[in-house]
Amino acid sequence: MFTEPLDVLLIFTVTTPVIGWVAYKKKYRKIQGVYAALGFSVAAYFLYELYMEVAEKGVVLIVGQLPFNPPLGACLEIDMLSVFMAFLCTITGLFASVYSITYMEHDTGLTEYYTLLLGIIAGMTGVVFAGDFFTLFVFWELMCLTSYALVAFRKQRWEPIEAGFKYLIMSAAGSATILLAMSFLYGMTGTVNFAGLAASLNGTAPNRWLYVTLTLIIVGFGIKAAVVPFHTWLPDAHSAAPSPISAVLSGVMVETAAYALIRILLLIFASTQPVWQMTLAVFSVFTMFVGNSMALLQNDLKRLLAFSTIAQMGYILFGLATASLSGLTGSLFHIMNHAIMKSLLFLCAGSFIHQTGTRDLRKLAGIRQTMPMTTIFFAIGAVAIAAIPPLNGFWSEWMIVAAGIEAGMLPFSALMIINVLFSVAYYLRVIHIIVFKKPTSMSKKAGGAPLSMLIPTLILASLCIIVGIYPGPFMAMASQAAEAALDLQAYISSVL
Amino acid sequence: MKIDWIRVAGLTAVVLAVLIFSMLVVRSEFPAFDHVEPVEIETTEFLWTYRLIDLIAQAFVLFAAAACCVAVLRAEEEEKK
Amino acid sequence: MIPLVHYLAGAIALYTIGMYCLASKRNMIRLVIGIEILINAAHLTFIAFSAVRGTDPLGHAIVIMSIVFAGCTTAVALTIVTYAYRHYGTLDVRKLRRLRW
Repeated sequence: MFTEPLDVLLIFTVTTPVIGWVAYKKKYRKIQGVYAALGFSVAAYFLYELYMEVAEKGVVLIVGQLPFNPPLGACLEIDMLSVFMAFLCTITGLFASVYSITYMEHDTGLTEYYTLLLGIIAGMTGVVFAGDFFTLFVFWELMCLTSYALVAFRKQRWEPIEAGFKYLIMSAAGSATILLAMSFLYGMTGTVNFAGLAASLNGTAPNRWLYVTLTLIIVGFGIKAAVVPFHTWLPDAHSAAPSPISAVLSGVMVETAAYALIRILLLIFASTQPVWQMTLAVFSVFTMFVGNSMALLQNDLKRLLAFSTIAQMGYILFGLATASLSGLTGSLFHIMNHAIMKSLLFLCAGSFIHQTGTRDLRKLAGIRQTMPMTTIFFAIGAVAIAAIPPLNGFWSEWMIVAAGIEAGMLPFSALMIINVLFSVAYYLRVIHIIVFKKPTSMSKKAGGAPLSMLIPTLILASLCIIVGIYPGPFMAMASQAAEAALDLQAYISSVL
Repeated sequence: MKIDWIRVAGLTAVVLAVLIFSMLVVRSEFPAFDHVEPVEIETTEFLWTYRLIDLIAQAFVLFAAAACCVAVLRAEEEEKK
Repeated sequence: MIPLVHYLAGAIALYTIGMYCLASKRNMIRLVIGIEILINAAHLTFIAFSAVRGTDPLGHAIVIMSIVFAGCTTAVALTIVTYAYRHYGTLDVRKLRRLRW
């Protein structure tokens, strides 16, 4: 059918209700979580084999059933960038499902929860593997639909429903905009295949309709990637979702939208490159400022982390706006670091919320005394994402700033450095509150976090430290992925 | 035991009607596909040969949409805390 | 034969009407209908381009599949609207203002 990792994830999605029925009969509720974690592990193993195949062959192409189909046929085209993103999605999904085994134990509907969790990761993997715009759209819809239900999962309270409805309206409008842009590209070239579109559109002079399409693409994918005028759904949705889902949404779903922007802008819109570079640079600076300024004002822990996600997406899009090898390497490395750090922060925040029942930062003061391990991991994640030197956030943000200076965007790089200092301010404020202040009554009654919630955070925190101290191999992976993204000729020639 | 005569009459009428109609149908020829016009099935052929991946993925999207509706509309049992 | 740009103008008009509907209507179900109008603008464009090249099957195939996705999105949207009605007692989206800052 498709490649093995995607097959495995989809098959596990469809068979999880069967396991759920078995669990219902035997009254043993945790088996669905173990099954989902098993699914992610099997998919990660096949993804590793796929990585070996891509590393020796260059680009792997899977087309339907017939040996010859493009440029009209649907195809999956997998290069290093796709494998890189798919790894992030699968590993984050694995950690989220292990964490959910104890976090969601008091919720009903666990069968549907794990089905949808496997579905959203399958959708993201399909998006990064797609070689055809409509295939990308199909898997994009899979990802979006499952995320609407996951945000509104705890429907007994009003907050997830309100946040879920606003998120659904904005995100569905974004999907419709993407579909309209796809129709204009189809009208101009007669195909929706990425390689076909790149080959047809790259040499020609841009006309008015191409600029319209460019606007629609940036708006459509920008709604999902939390670009500033369209970011208003993000703080509500990421705070109202259950914490492991917040980690998945914040850690990999907005990055998948950034991946789609990287792929489409570099491949198809190469003829209008100066225009989108400057547009994206301006948008990304606004995004950084809005994200960081709003985060300074927050007292709700998850809302603060959500605004921080908006700011980090600003950094990633600024790296894309430089469109050079080092800028793109910095962006991809920052995508990886952000997935690790933001998942760690959301999972630790989830542990705090699970044990004390509150999201308010002032009531969580001094929780170090009752939950020492989780506080240490949270502090590691916060120090990393605030770009303090020995940890991993520093390397990627430094690469993006340096690439910005190289590409001649000096004022934008200066603004980015100011934003990094803002983020240091509010993360240090959070660490100060939870570590150094006196414990309140709510934080005194917290117990230690259960084991299945502690293990993913332990692994993520150690990854933060390892990548920070020894960034070489990870930077090399990001650099290979960036080369693959920029190498249009190899992409086009392996299809046509 | 009371026999409902109306019911018996109805059942007999139905059985007789089935027998008579089936004999009439078996005796006459049906003009199969005599008045046909050529149908263009180009889009359907195209879908299944060129767009197979999208169709299979669409089946999974439909399943996921059904799972979403079940997840949001699920019934909450009262849990004893 | 109607020129192509008339169809495109119609599609852009539908898109604008859809965005206006999302921005200004208060009833939640009208917002869901607004999403449908947006998606139909894209469908109209696909079919118009497909007709220019003498019934190109790719455009038809994409629209056939995309109608299904529009239906799925509407289904999930309406289940969320059901719960919003249960919590808030009204279908007025301007009453969903508890999440502000």
